[in-house]
Amino acid sequence: MSQEIINADVKGAKSNTIKCLNISEKKVGLFVTCLVNTMRPSVGFASLKLLEEAGCTVEVPEQQSCCGQPAFNSGDDEGTRQIAYQTIKQFENFDYVVVPSGSCAAMIKKNFIEVFKDQPEWLARAQHLADITHELLSFLVDVCEFESSGIELEGSYTYHDSCSGYRALHVYEQPRKMLANVKGLEHNPLNGHSECCGFGGTFCVKYSDISNEIVAEKAENILATEADYLLGGDMGCLMNMAGKLNREGHKEIKALHTAEVLAGLAPQILGDENASK
Amino acid sequence: MQANKPENFYQNVKDALAQPDLKMIIRRTTDKAEAKRAEAIANFPGFENARKQGQKVKDHTIKYMDHYLAEFEKNALAQGTIIHWASTAEEASKIVLDICRQHEAKKVTRSKSMLGEEIGLSHALDNSGIERVETDLAEHIIQLAGDPPSHIVWPAMHRSREDVIKLFREYHKDPTYSEEIIDLVRSARRDLRTKFLTADIGISGSNFLLADSGSSCTVTNEGNAELTITPPKVHIVTAGIEKLVPSMAHAVPLLRLLTRSATGGEITQYITFHNGPKRQNDADGPEECHIVLVDNGRTKMLADGMEEMLRCIRCGACMNHCVVYKHIGGHAYGSVYPGPMGSVLTPHLNSLEVANKQTHACTLNGRCEEVCPVNIPLPKLLRSLRAQSWDKKYEPLTNRFVVKAFAALAKRPKLFQLVSSCGVIFMRLCSRQGWIKSMPLAGGWTRNRDLIEPESKTFMQQYKAMKKAKSDGA
Amino acid sequence: MNKQRNEISRERIFDAIRAAAPTVTADVKAIQNEALEILGESEFARPALLAEDAAEALTLRIEAGLVIGTSCEKIASLDQLPDSVNQFLAKYALPAELKVQEIERLKALNWDGITTEVDIKNDNTVGLCWAEYGIAETGTFVVHSGPDMPILLNFLPLYLLAVIPKSKILPYMDDYALIAGEIAQRGETPRNMCLISGVSGTTDIEGVLIQGAHGPEVLHIIIVEDQ
Ligand code: SF4
Repeated sequence: MSQEIINADVKGAKSNTIKCLNISEKKVGLFVTCLVNTMRPSVGFASLKLLEEAGCTVEVPEQQSCCGQPAFNSGDDEGTRQIAYQTIKQFENFDYVVVPSGSCAAMIKKNFIEVFKDQPEWLARAQHLADITHELLSFLVDVCEFESSGIELEGSYTYHDSCSGYRALHVYEQPRKMLANVKGLEHNPLNGHSECCGFGGTFCVKYSDISNEIVAEKAENILATEADYLLGGDMGCLMNMAGKLNREGHKEIKALHTAEVLAGLAPQILGDENASK
Repeated sequence: MQANKPENFYQNVKDALAQPDLKMIIRRTTDKAEAKRAEAIANFPGFENARKQGQKVKDHTIKYMDHYLAEFEKNALAQGTIIHWASTAEEASKIVLDICRQHEAKKVTRSKSMLGEEIGLSHALDNSGIERVETDLAEHIIQLAGDPPSHIVWPAMHRSREDVIKLFREYHKDPTYSEEIIDLVRSARRDLRTKFLTADIGISGSNFLLADSGSSCTVTNEGNAELTITPPKVHIVTAGIEKLVPSMAHAVPLLRLLTRSATGGEITQYITFHNGPKRQNDADGPEECHIVLVDNGRTKMLADGMEEMLRCIRCGACMNHCVVYKHIGGHAYGSVYPGPMGSVLTPHLNSLEVANKQTHACTLNGRCEEVCPVNIPLPKLLRSLRAQSWDKKYEPLTNRFVVKAFAALAKRPKLFQLVSSCGVIFMRLCSRQGWIKSMPLAGGWTRNRDLIEPESKTFMQQYKAMKKAKSDGA
Repeated sequence: MNKQRNEISRERIFDAIRAAAPTVTADVKAIQNEALEILGESEFARPALLAEDAAEALTLRIEAGLVIGTSCEKIASLDQLPDSVNQFLAKYALPAELKVQEIERLKALNWDGITTEVDIKNDNTVGLCWAEYGIAETGTFVVHSGPDMPILLNFLPLYLLAVIPKSKILPYMDDYALIAGEIAQRGETPRNMCLISGVSGTTDIEGVLIQGAHGPEVLHIIIVEDQ
């Protein structure tokens, strides 16, 4: 659906009526994240669209890679530093850095400083980057005071609060608040909404069987909501839960990133998915 | 049941996941604990303040550990307590055994103490031919079953009522033939009562050591600590040096946190401060009182920047709320201390080489830290243990290779983008109807779940194309 | 005991702490002030009482079923105690015998028709004890060991009655800790100070709460107003 989305982004999809602070003079750098880059570019375009609708001037530095979590969580501090150096250089001159993932945002906001304890100069630069970095939904709501309207999606959704976004960055109200403005969309709350889905980055392949038990339980809770859409703010968790649901043969529930819904891209994505079946 | 070894963690996990009813057994306890804790905290608006205060008490004492240890020693000696110091687990249990031998003890009663388990006291006593009587009901059950504990608050949570019926019928002198839980508890009551009253030595742990008075404090629901300590001639306390607090007033906020976090109750029924041997005309009580102060890795934790872990008050909340513990249970960890706190503690009590796998068996989701009553940053500590084991090369070679290769790529964005786009092509080759069911090198993922099919181009490729189209058009 | 080995371990532990925590200060006064400051936060870090008056709060707490296995009543004067005891025994259909703690003010009461001496080592006995303090926050009675307070009196019987003088009921655990501190200052700390808040209970078999695990199954608190 690659090219279509770009076109859709330009004219096809419904747009949010703009109601937000004027922050257009602020330069925003979009940190796409590697999962969005490879697995789900539409989340990146949805983020772009939302940020622009919120009045931001957005730039996507082409020299970006990964936030470094796989190295950091494996205990490879040197590898993390190597990745962090270039991320800091690429992004430190923006006014804001926005990330469509709670866990990657938390990595930059909370963990970069952990690996620069002995390097005062880099520590300061990492701290600065941490200060200007935001998770997408919380940025739109808390910083831009953006209120979406004019987006429609028929059906019900359930929401999984991924761990880093929820616990490290306290993202909870923001996505719900914005989704409440999507016409036709009902919220079926998820039992254990903030319980880990078992993804955990490298954990899910290292301890695949434990991870499987955890996500199996999550899937049960998701199915119990009878929602049409499973929404969340992290591709990793979404891929994990959607992958489990699909493996178990549950095609009735579609996993989407919150940004995709808010940017009005859901109909196209779902249409695309159906087309490929 | 033989105790699992921490170094066999992978196998332990496999065995645990293969037990069909393990999850139900664990949930019976943890779900209730979780719900009751939530209720207790909802009823206590000052909880966050209590948490901050509790953390401060612990941090303050840890910061001035040498001062408070010396003060405790002085005051305990003044109460007539005999103080022993043990650097290691072996030393600690040897000290206890020596005291038992000196008094020619034949029977000792013990009230539940995780430190006692940590220093291997049960085995040491059993091996020396002294009759050991565990008096906490759960410890009594696992003693009869020959099991290691599976939880720090409910060590016998893995045993069903049916198991208990069998065990009690086999071992109790005057067993019950009823299957009602109350009758089972009464059966244990009858059996233990005479043992309480005829033991030569009572051994306990301690939840708090009060520096300003030299007291040790026990906290139980059953009242078995007082029954263990009072009748025998000799009382031995084994306690980790991190149990210190400045005074009783400082223990109070921690008591408020402990019960609520552990069982969801507001206070434990029995909190007793023990101050040395019986006074001259006292109606009852031990004539001799020993306290064994144990290091066993604690000063090493101080030195390694792990001092936050010394705040732990052993409430068990972190394991009750841990998604991993809830699926594999306590035995899989192969340590006296399971769950998140155990994965941080065990490498210090045992060695990181032996117990590093547990530090990786965690999604770093942060739930444990969120519920810990003394705000221990367990995920941060686990992560720093991973960093230590990375530096020491304890990681399996393949993992190291994959992570290193990834880091090497990720620090070169251009190459990273190139490899990402190749990855997309590769993945799409493996995909059928929008999903990847299996793919070379992705077995860890696709063993249990499908992988979504990526779009045909990466974001960056599409973005560049879009920008180019825009500028061409303009 | 191996004195030398003990000394070596002691030194080793202190050395390790000092090596690890170089912030250690020798100024005892400063450490004490820091410790005191932490206690200042208690006011905002404890639960609300169920009533302003401590005795009332304690009663309400027990009546609300928040203290496991515990009931309570108030009597205006100590003379009424034997009556209350009789009613308690009748309620549980128990024989007219119990172990009354051997202190003058209890002994002096009129126990006609009740045996006040039984061997509590037997099971299924009733005990009556005099509490030093009550604590409203937790529904607690406090006993101190001493020549006329055998600690086992509170643990061996299956039924326990505890008498608390109304004037000795404190609002919070912190208040008791203050008193304990004063007792320590006077060098009069008893061997045991027991804070008892309910009956002996266990949830160790399948999570089901059972009362009377080793000690009392039933606890009845009697608050005496004139003491
Ligand atoms: S780490 Fe925290 S939650 Fe876990 S047992 Fe210790 S005090 Fe309780």
